[in-house]
Amino acid sequence: MANFILRKAEPRDVPDILRLIKELAKFEEMEEQVVLTETELLQDGFGEQPFYHCIMAEVPEDRRSSDGHTVVGFAMYYFTYDPWIGKMLYLEDFYVMKEYRGMAVHTQYIHSTAVKSRCSGMHFIVAEWNKPSIDFYKRRGASDLSHEEGWRLFEIDKEYLLKMSAK
Amino acid sequence: MDYTIRVATLEDCKDIYRMIMVSRCGDRRVAQGGTCSVCARRTHGHSELAKHEKVSDQVKIAQRDLEQDGFSKNPFFQSIIAEVPEQHRSKDGHSKVGYALYFFAYSSWKGRSVYMEDLYVMPEYRGKGIGKALMSKIAQLGLAAGCNQLNFAVLNWNKESMDFYLSQGCWDVTTGLDYHCMRCEGPALEALARGDPKN
Repeated sequence: MANFILRKAEPRDVPDILRLIKELAKFEEMEEQVVLTETELLQDGFGEQPFYHCIMAEVPEDRRSSDGHTVVGFAMYYFTYDPWIGKMLYLEDFYVMKEYRGMAVHTQYIHSTAVKSRCSGMHFIVAEWNKPSIDFYKRRGASDLSHEEGWRLFEIDKEYLLKMSAK
Repeated sequence: MDYTIRVATLEDCKDIYRMIMVSRCGDRRVAQGGTCSVCARRTHGHSELAKHEKVSDQVKIAQRDLEQDGFSKNPFFQSIIAEVPEQHRSKDGHSKVGYALYFFAYSSWKGRSVYMEDLYVMPEYRGKGIGKALMSKIAQLGLAAGCNQLNFAVLNWNKESMDFYLSQGCWDVTTGLDYHCMRCEGPALEALARGDPKN
């Protein structure tokens, strides 16, 4: 019997998606930053024009986690665009519960999704202190654009967006 | 000087492509060393572009790709144009003098967001508020679509732009959260998809 299956997320997965988002944020010591709700996840991921896509990793019943979950990992992604090279896939979140790691859960699925959708590349963000993840991706050929090309990611929050749009 | 900011149409692709070719040259060429190895300058004029063979090697898409990817039923990006009246056309005869390219994204912490991929104004039209107006339009369109953040990337040597964005209330996520922007592409992406064994 396979250790796990990978499948596209369905509306019923929304509670697990939010649970896993919060677990990953907790690992990043940013749990209080998660303000997204199940209602928003449902509207934004399963409406007519989804803002994101999700892949879920699920284990059989007999491998349920200690707190009763069979959905043990997820990857959230969406499509972006680089006007020089075309479509790209952006990997927003990628997480597997601790006790299920080491099975190469999502890596192949996400990356073959990128290739099948004719994306020219995949972008994602890694925290500087997360050396194991940085090494994992660098071994697979990823480049650190912040380091190599000097890119800095900027953000404008809603308060300033409102001010800016009023000008 | 009068100008209008409007949503781009298929007919604008020719001008968007023209401006993409010019705007990207500065970013890609000088990111590492500070000066272009072809013309030894930090920025390039339109007329110099033809000499930069390496730049044209790096551009993988044609105008028709832009038309298909941006103006079909499920577009991969959105764009807006800055246009001036006839009497203010550039010396090459262009009235479309700036553009911004953006798409909708998602934060697993906060939900809907908008990502500004490109923002460009032709050099002779700068200093008139056009760049700010383009960004303001993206902010309006983003808020209308239910977004609560606008994200974009700036090169670390581009102090003028960084200062402008900071003055508008933006903050540097790379510095603030120690985030690094990573990319996997080409043979590495394909190898990753195949699950080639790594040490």
